[in-house]
Amino acid sequence: MENQDISQTTNEKIFVEQKLAVESIRTFLNSKTSYDVLPVSYRLIVMDTALLVKKSLNVLLQNNIVSAPLWDSQTSKFAGLLTSSDFINVIQYYFSNPDKFELVDKLQLNGLKDIERIIGVEPLDTASIHPSRPLFEACLKMMGSRSRRIPLIDQDEETHREIVVSVLTQYRILKFVALNCRETNFLKRPIGELGIITENDVKRCQMTTPVIDAIQLLSSNGIASIPIVDDNGVLLNVYEAIDVLGLIKGGIYNDLSLSVGEALMRRSDDFEGVYTCTKNDKLSTIMDNIRKARVHRFIVVDDAGKLTGVLSLDDILRYILLGEK
Amino acid sequence: MEDMENKDHSMLDVNDAADEQSSGTVPNNNTASLTKSFSEMNVDEANEIEPQLMVGRQRSRSTLIFDDEDEIPPYADHHEHISDSDNESTVSSSTSESGSSTMDPAKDEQLVDQAAMEVSGGNVANDRMVDPQQQQQQSSSKQSSGNVMVPVDIIWQQGGTKAYVTGSFTGWRKMIGLVPLPGKPSVLHVKLQLPPGTHKFRFIVDNELRFSDYLPTATDQMGNFVNYLEVVAPPAAPQLGQTQNEINDQQWNDEQMGLPAQDRDTATYPSATRKTPMSARSRIAFEIEQEPDDMGGGYTRFHDETPSKPSLVFTRDIPAVFTDPAVMEQYYLTLDQQQNNHQNMAWLTPPQLPPHLENVILNSYSSLQGESNENNSGALPIPNHVILNHLATSSIKHNTLCVASIVRYKQKYATQILYAPLQ
Repeated sequence: MENQDISQTTNEKIFVEQKLAVESIRTFLNSKTSYDVLPVSYRLIVMDTALLVKKSLNVLLQNNIVSAPLWDSQTSKFAGLLTSSDFINVIQYYFSNPDKFELVDKLQLNGLKDIERIIGVEPLDTASIHPSRPLFEACLKMMGSRSRRIPLIDQDEETHREIVVSVLTQYRILKFVALNCRETNFLKRPIGELGIITENDVKRCQMTTPVIDAIQLLSSNGIASIPIVDDNGVLLNVYEAIDVLGLIKGGIYNDLSLSVGEALMRRSDDFEGVYTCTKNDKLSTIMDNIRKARVHRFIVVDDAGKLTGVLSLDDILRYILLGEK
Repeated sequence: MEDMENKDHSMLDVNDAADEQSSGTVPNNNTASLTKSFSEMNVDEANEIEPQLMVGRQRSRSTLIFDDEDEIPPYADHHEHISDSDNESTVSSSTSESGSSTMDPAKDEQLVDQAAMEVSGGNVANDRMVDPQQQQQQSSSKQSSGNVMVPVDIIWQQGGTKAYVTGSFTGWRKMIGLVPLPGKPSVLHVKLQLPPGTHKFRFIVDNELRFSDYLPTATDQMGNFVNYLEVVAPPAAPQLGQTQNEINDQQWNDEQMGLPAQDRDTATYPSATRKTPMSARSRIAFEIEQEPDDMGGGYTRFHDETPSKPSLVFTRDIPAVFTDPAVMEQYYLTLDQQQNNHQNMAWLTPPQLPPHLENVILNSYSSLQGESNENNSGALPIPNHVILNHLATSSIKHNTLCVASIVRYKQKYATQILYAPLQ
């Protein structure tokens, strides 16, 4: 009876501590602007919209980045973000119109909008925010976007033209929080309790699934990864949207008959690996991992290693900003 | 493939930067001859520059005599608060005097360094390109005009009883204690003398790592949130109208350059009584000092800061080495022989670019990234302000042009890289 009381009070303590910690992180994000968190000196890679899509892929791969802001030199305006979803769109277009190889080969970045329209996906968001707005606001706007990132756009004081200042990503924000907010140590409630894990209807595929099916799953569900499981539902690997970049490296769009397993062989050697967690893990542990490694999602498994859900950075950020679902 | 990628990062180079860089990274044993040849070159050239420098030095030397010890030397301030996180606690002396004497070897090096800088100009900087980290650390003091130090008041006003500051200016090793502001016990501060450049720092308040909300903030290369300050050198004041601060600065400069007044003469001439260990650079400089003064061909060595030196006068005569092709050829041939490496007649070719433009921070990006692939915020070293607003370009590959420019965005530097098709 007494033991129960003690565990009861510890639980309450943990509950209160987590609540206060989250509130404190929110206050912190509100007190800083996007500008504040930029390094003193940093680089930003921008692409002209007249660049060929296949060239843009090379630029991304060469610079080891997965996204870049676009610049329309005709209008001197920011023209949206190039992300892996654009390449997925091109793949899907080419898959359904294999006779249009000529068009795909000569496609410029400003032609991506036409592709979107033809295959009937939602146009990519062109949301942006001013660097001097609070970080909290930038995060909120980022959550509403499909690209999971938000460009920082300012105006030149003299010419009044747009300036692409930088691009914030969910990972960057969460790593920033993990590194600089001591409060993350107090996030000790099991993540299973918080209702932030996506558990229902988790899309999955197998090693033998054709990669084009996996790509279609990514696109139609607006997700960034698909766990790969064996016949028993045990997690084997993950197919990520950014793996698509490696798949079509060199402009080869006709390898789409590959299986997911074969497609994974094209992954670069510095692949971070798949991070897993269980429902009983705490958010403090999760944040610790985000601080140490470039993690973009945690696959939730049970004790037997079977896939039970996915915890994306979006889910974590949403919890920190808005609380439980 | 790796190589190709690296080349793609190398902006500004068109073709020759690689060669230029390799010429910058000459092995150390060549540095002697390099420096030497430069000091020779100044036989003719230095006349125009040196007298002014001399005036400055002489003047500051005299102020040093009146040094009343009131001035707080940087880092040595509040010595009792400095806790050395390293194990080299031999410096943990109670008086700042003995503290500065233990630092003498380093200062000596700086003295000689500076002399070498003046003599050979940008090429010393070129030598340093070997190690970008080191370059980065030194650039803050070297890029500036000599050894000017700027007094900076660092204030902590967010509570706490015991506060320290640590930062790039102490290599993030030492913690400098803050003291309450007179009359305002809740506000802690410390006055530091910092070289011009960007300094990053954080506070340790009651054993907790903090940053100030009242100072500019940024994330460093590891993603840590830090405060930073850009210290700007004060405009050179006329000799007479100096403010007390500036005079103090200058006094401190002299201390920074090492050496109490009476030691100066012995320092410029190597003597047997010299006990402090010398750095490689100092050794080279002293070796040069020991060479015979007569270099042959009518040239004698230029002596920097020799007390017995005859006073220099301005002249309108152009030295023969610049007017007589035969003398010039002989001069360069001698240089070539002395240098004794692969670049024959490299002295005759003017540099492709001003040396400071060759050190492009983007070129150091790929190596930085190799060390930590977590560097996803794209943090770069802080650029030297002279390279701002220059357009850099890579060689055109596959019909794609890549240009870059470093611009100020408010108090920060954005390096924008634009890929565009060639039309």
